Amino acid sequence: MTTQHKSKSLSWKKKFRDKLIEIIGATGVISSDDELIAYECDALTGYRIKPIFVVLPKTTEEVSAVIKECHHENIPFVPRGAGTGLSGGALPTEEGIVISLSRMTKILDVDIPNQRVVVEPGVVNISVTNAVSSSGYYYAPDPSSQIVCTIGGNVAENSGGVHCLKYGVTTNHVLGLEMVLPDGEIIEVGGKTLDHPGYDLTGLVVGSEGLLGIVTKVTLKIIKKPEAVKTLLASFDHIEDAGDSVSGITARGVIPAGMEIMDSFCIRAVEEAVGAGYPIDAGAILLVELDGPTAEVQAQLPIVEEVLKENNAIQIKVAKDAKERELFWKGRKSAFPAMGRISPDYYVQDGVIPRSKLAEVLREIEELSKKYGLRVANVFHAGDGNLHPLVLYDSSKEGDLDKTLELAGEILQVCVDKGGSITGEHGVGHDKKRFLSLMFDENDLDTMNLLRCAFDTKGLCNPGKLFPTPRTCVEPGMKPFKEHPVQKAGLGEMY
Amino acid sequence: MLKKKIVNNLLRIVGEKNALTEEAKLKSFSVENVQPGIVLFPNEIEQVSEIMKLASKESISVIPWGSGTKSALGNLPESVDVVISTKNLDLIIEHGASDLVATTQCGITLKKFQSALNKERQFLAIDPPHVGRKATVGGIIATNDSGPERFRYGTLREFLIGLKVVRADGSIFKGGSKVVKNVAGYDLPKLYVGSLGTLGIIVEATFRLYPVPEYSETYIVGFSTLEDAHNTVSTLLKSDLVITSLEILNPELVGSLTKRNDLDLIDDLYTLAIGIKNVEKAVKDQISTLKMICNQNGGKGKLIIGAQEEQLWEDIRDFPWELFKAERVVCKASVVVTQIPQVLTTLKRLSDEYGIKTYISARAGNGILIISIKGKLSSIIDSLNSLRSFVSSIGGHLILQEAPPEIKARVQVWGDFGSGLGIMKKIKLNFDPNNLLNPGRYI
Repeated sequence: MTTQHKSKSLSWKKKFRDKLIEIIGATGVISSDDELIAYECDALTGYRIKPIFVVLPKTTEEVSAVIKECHHENIPFVPRGAGTGLSGGALPTEEGIVISLSRMTKILDVDIPNQRVVVEPGVVNISVTNAVSSSGYYYAPDPSSQIVCTIGGNVAENSGGVHCLKYGVTTNHVLGLEMVLPDGEIIEVGGKTLDHPGYDLTGLVVGSEGLLGIVTKVTLKIIKKPEAVKTLLASFDHIEDAGDSVSGITARGVIPAGMEIMDSFCIRAVEEAVGAGYPIDAGAILLVELDGPTAEVQAQLPIVEEVLKENNAIQIKVAKDAKERELFWKGRKSAFPAMGRISPDYYVQDGVIPRSKLAEVLREIEELSKKYGLRVANVFHAGDGNLHPLVLYDSSKEGDLDKTLELAGEILQVCVDKGGSITGEHGVGHDKKRFLSLMFDENDLDTMNLLRCAFDTKGLCNPGKLFPTPRTCVEPGMKPFKEHPVQKAGLGEMY
Repeated sequence: MLKKKIVNNLLRIVGEKNALTEEAKLKSFSVENVQPGIVLFPNEIEQVSEIMKLASKESISVIPWGSGTKSALGNLPESVDVVISTKNLDLIIEHGASDLVATTQCGITLKKFQSALNKERQFLAIDPPHVGRKATVGGIIATNDSGPERFRYGTLREFLIGLKVVRADGSIFKGGSKVVKNVAGYDLPKLYVGSLGTLGIIVEATFRLYPVPEYSETYIVGFSTLEDAHNTVSTLLKSDLVITSLEILNPELVGSLTKRNDLDLIDDLYTLAIGIKNVEKAVKDQISTLKMICNQNGGKGKLIIGAQEEQLWEDIRDFPWELFKAERVVCKASVVVTQIPQVLTTLKRLSDEYGIKTYISARAGNGILIISIKGKLSSIIDSLNSLRSFVSSIGGHLILQEAPPEIKARVQVWGDFGSGLGIMKKIKLNFDPNNLLNPGRYI
């Protein structure tokens, strides 16, 4: 339940601040207005709320002590990693605090023979791979923000990346957690070993968007780097052909490590921005990456090339070395920032559709784009049907933002109508909570609430996110009141 | 004993021909020798919902039942009033071959489901035991059962992307979605994998699928010492080989397997069974490399393909239930991969010390050991408790998968649930406030 707060008095705030300083030290508590501004939002910059304070704990015990204090004072708190989230998951609440995990940056254990790495939540995603790379291993989930985003944030959102098709997402690589519950209790779930007895709390917490508690340690699985990698860049006149190629490849029994599509808007913007060597006048490009044992990749390559040709690929390039491979990917990974070249603002969505419906959904997006008079650039993880339509607008133009949000909503409705999802990797957060009911009915949302209430009865942990409307926690086990016959007869009282 | 009125109401929900009430027929649906009052075979999800509504109102216990192949898993039941069988809920709802996704009702047997998926050269990448005994998809999800191929593909938590469940109060909800990439809402499918029917009855499930590999070969190789076998495993794990199954079989198990079929294995040695599935060229290339690595460590092996290969893996998956038909004691130890030799050595020591026989297949790349024990009751009890002590001391855990009640009385089935137990209990309380579903068996 989102607790209603009256504006806190100055003297209360001073007392609370003193308590926090007692726990963390003065350098760990941010209270000045100009410093707080940096924490007003994450990468979804359209919504901003200033928190009362921001705290930066360095240990699990500090996180626990802060949360206990919040629990005691009924102050809501919002966890924050690097603030790269695109759904407003780290948006502060009114009269609440932000607990930033950015000072918990230790890699605690690197266990190569058992393929496990244990990290604090503030560790940057790419640092995990960097720590094991020289031994021939890597950490597979690779969101495009991986040089900045933190593992804690990845856990909260169940982040994906460009290689999820074959390697899965964050939840497939997290084996255990230490976390602080919303009442301050510290628990450990899962661990280095598999098949722990009990419910899969690790699996529940990953992707829970910071609503079930704050994660303070993560046990990750690392995997061996593949023996061979082959990256292809194919260009097409029509984006539908690129989509059909994707279906064709999986139909032939090939699961590439990744398949990415970009439309002509994106191609042009990206070429202007980073010059990746994409054909400027193509209707679409498709990146296919194969990896695995050499013989397997060698067998898959001709199959993929055949499918691409069958689907009218104008040109097919195979990266001849690591440098060229990096260049192919540079363009794709710069897609969002490159939008700045062709539009003052953009709003990215994160819908998912069954792969087989790609062509028809793209047509519907084009219709919607015309209807609203706003350009929509398309870049997506074609392999797993995760679209990132980029609605291009100008915030200085009156009404543009509203139109954008409406258009984005319609795109999500299309995705759900086709049997997909409103979010494949960015999370619901603040941004998409109004759309959660497109996918889930009252029974479904009540069930999710039962889960949340097992962790957070007071509703102080990242409230106002995920759920469209606040839900209370009913006392479990409460049976409807039945009068005892003795009471009924007026002969006794029940205590 | 179920009140006559309740029985009549239950019969009204499913129809008399979809229920069993006679003594003689009820016996085979017993849970740890506790016979239910009635067995129901609903043929619509709505009926399951109606049954649970009635169960909630009347506070009667409910045991969800697929084919009952794993009904021995869990503590002794507190109560067994009604068994709900999912047998009639066996329709495949949808197979999106070009999306590599399929949705099915959960009473379907894994065998039938795989057959249907195979028609498009796809499959659900799970190879648990009991498939021949008609294990159902729902039961496999509820018990999180798995087999040797988990090394390559992972377990059900990796492929279950959506589900529909009837909760204890009869409400029906869905979690997850029908697309592989989805982070909307909590990941409720993860909650239900391995939940042993204690949080609801899983009636429908959506899975991500894989293409059926084109070709396979298995190399089976014996080593003079456990150390040699383990060194080989370490080398294999560090190599570029993409292996599908990697099992260490202890000498007792090898001896039994040899007796059961004409594999002509080398007895009395720690043996590796290594399966590789891929396109033919990739399989043959990798087997070649594999042989070299094994030879370097003194291994003596042979190639097994075709029907023999299939039989070998079926034997490895099902040995605890095929070797012994009664008085089974089966447990599963979980440690990190590098600790497997320690567990094997400890088991050898316990065998000598207590005069028991242990048959072991270890998932060498996952740290999981499946152990079948034979011996005197008191010896088994002591050695299990000793084993659990040891495994816990090195950060692992031990679970009893099957054992007679006399052993369950003296050896904990689940061991330590850890510091998350408080939350698990709250979840159970929220989802099943009257403790109707499989009461007492798990959380």
